[in-house]
Amino acid sequence: MSERSNISGDLIWEVVRNSNAYLVKHSAAGGVQFSRDPFNLVNKHSRKYDGFVNDKAVSVQPNEKGGVTLKTKKPGKAYKPASAYNEHAYGSTVSNRKLYKNIADAVGKNSYRGDLNKAAVARASAIKLSQRPKKETPERKPRGLKGHKTEA
Amino acid sequence: MVSAKKHVPIIKKHPKKWHRHQSDTFKCVPSAWRKPKGIDNRVRRRFKGQMVMPSIGYGSNKKTRHMMPSGHKAFLVHNPRDVDLLLMHNRTYAAEIASAVSSRKRVEIVAKAKALGVKVTNPKAKLTTES
Repeated sequence: MSERSNISGDLIWEVVRNSNAYLVKHSAAGGVQFSRDPFNLVNKHSRKYDGFVNDKAVSVQPNEKGGVTLKTKKPGKAYKPASAYNEHAYGSTVSNRKLYKNIADAVGKNSYRGDLNKAAVARASAIKLSQRPKKETPERKPRGLKGHKTEA
Repeated sequence: MVSAKKHVPIIKKHPKKWHRHQSDTFKCVPSAWRKPKGIDNRVRRRFKGQMVMPSIGYGSNKKTRHMMPSGHKAFLVHNPRDVDLLLMHNRTYAAEIASAVSSRKRVEIVAKAKALGVKVTNPKAKLTTES
């Protein structure tokens, strides 16, 4: 929210917490709620993690060609969508250590959103892991009677 | 695929299905549980040797409720975008592909889940062919 607006994040949250475009409600597993918000680091529907209700929020998303893009919201710039975000793309060749260090520094310990620091690094790590080539799962050997038949 | 988080052992206090009293004797009495209401009913009065009635005490531990034997909870997905939600939850939730999804789209979902390390409970459905 911009400083000019008189709508607080808390008010927005109270208004949209039961239904919003990002919210995914399933009755499975005893009523689970996820969020599709790109500024939500853990995809969990909550006041803390949902990026659109917070002045400051962090987004860690995969690039198309590998690597990770870090985005942070600039507080007080909500009415200027073009310059509302700080953005930095890290290519696939950037080492993990460097990436995590950069993200952790950008999110800050006490400065920007210290409470999201770990989550941001964890998400970057998960994305990097998902971009690695995966091993083929070995084909299952037939067991029991079928297995004997193929051997013989 | 990642294994589930460590959890307390899953204990089912009453693993068998609950059957309605006398559903085994009468064809017209279906087995879906109904609480006996009769004034003389021996099950309702909890006589010795009778069947037990379901009660809240048979509920599962909150920590293991809805949990599959693998330790995951199932989350229904319809497209690869839904699998994305589980990126940070692949040790608590497993994706379950909805029944109406075609085999062409199932391939995409399974591939996505593999990349993200998300377990799929029904990866072979509609994709395996009988040889």
